[in-house]
Amino acid sequence: MNTLVVYCHPDATSFTAAVRDAVVDSRRRAGHEVRVRDLYADGFEARLSAEERRNHRMPGPRPAVAGYADELRWCQHLVLVYPTWWSGQPAMLKGWIDRVWVQGVAWDLPEGASRVRARLRNIRRITAVTTHGSSKWINSLEGEGGKRTLTRSLRAMGHPLARSGWVAMYGLDTSTAAQRAAFLTAVRRKFGTRR
Amino acid sequence: MKALLVSAHPCADSYSAALAEAARRGLVTSGHEVTTLDLYAADFTAVMSPADLDAYRDQADPVDPVVRQHGELVRHAEVLVFVYPTWWSGPPAMLKGWLERVLVPGVAFTFDRQGKVQPALGHVRRIVGISTYGSPWTYIKLVNDNGRRLLTRALRLTCGWRTATTWLGLYSIDTTGEPERRAFLDRVEHSMAKIR
Repeated sequence: MNTLVVYCHPDATSFTAAVRDAVVDSRRRAGHEVRVRDLYADGFEARLSAEERRNHRMPGPRPAVAGYADELRWCQHLVLVYPTWWSGQPAMLKGWIDRVWVQGVAWDLPEGASRVRARLRNIRRITAVTTHGSSKWINSLEGEGGKRTLTRSLRAMGHPLARSGWVAMYGLDTSTAAQRAAFLTAVRRKFGTRR
Repeated sequence: MKALLVSAHPCADSYSAALAEAARRGLVTSGHEVTTLDLYAADFTAVMSPADLDAYRDQADPVDPVVRQHGELVRHAEVLVFVYPTWWSGPPAMLKGWLERVLVPGVAFTFDRQGKVQPALGHVRRIVGISTYGSPWTYIKLVNDNGRRLLTRALRLTCGWRTATTWLGLYSIDTTGEPERRAFLDRVEHSMAKIR
């Protein structure tokens, strides 16, 4: 499967970077073609501009994000690797969604239709690998907004039978080295499959 | 009361900007002291930088003077009002980034000895969310309303037990006409004018 890994963390030495390496390595070992996108290394502009907003009904990505749109169209498995902050995707990753998943790339709204039509039918799997500072219980109370953005909003733009996956470590702030190592092992097992 | 109104829409002539202005008028009418932060107009930096993250981890003061100043405003706010268009079921990256960079340890919460988060926004009496949605209300309720969850649950958890929340949404914005839009502006102004 063509696998696109979109990675988002400001610190290159973070635990999330180790998680990314585990995903990429296990995916490649299982024989998949993998492309990695590092939004911080790119210095991606997260803020949707006034010009983009005014033309948001004009199909197609703006030239500045065309490369990002191309790789979205290329992949069959999309993997987002990021830390959960304020119960959702970091602003950097939210900006990637705001600016790249636009009309003509992720969806269409044909003349007279009342609902958007999904365009990323190439995406058969969409998985988040994320860390939460606080416990699972606290995150349930907060409503798991980031999980729902992925499993409901984003998945709906993929293939009708696209599956979503949620690989999450909770309680990172109070975790031990052994727990973090166990999570990396679980990540390798999950992504090291032929499918 | 001291109200802090944070808005995030790239276009100054947008309906969202008009909503922010209606909210401000309502709050002023009821005698509140309002500070407005238009994040796009201020060209706010939306993403957490490596230096921001280091300060967060050390629980030190934010490195960016703008962020420190906004944090000071939050520390004194009794009403927090957020006005934004809902994109991908949540706030624009601009507002999400503001929450990440401004609401850091020492402003919104503190870490206790076990490393657990303890609320620090006990002085906030009410959180208000005002947003426009492309989808109809039923769809939002069925599928997700993550911006609302973020502000009325996640942010609410760092406030006090008595902190109230108000949510004002205009749904199916792409198909609403001028009368509905005007009615919603009035509704926003009136509900803000009733906040005590």
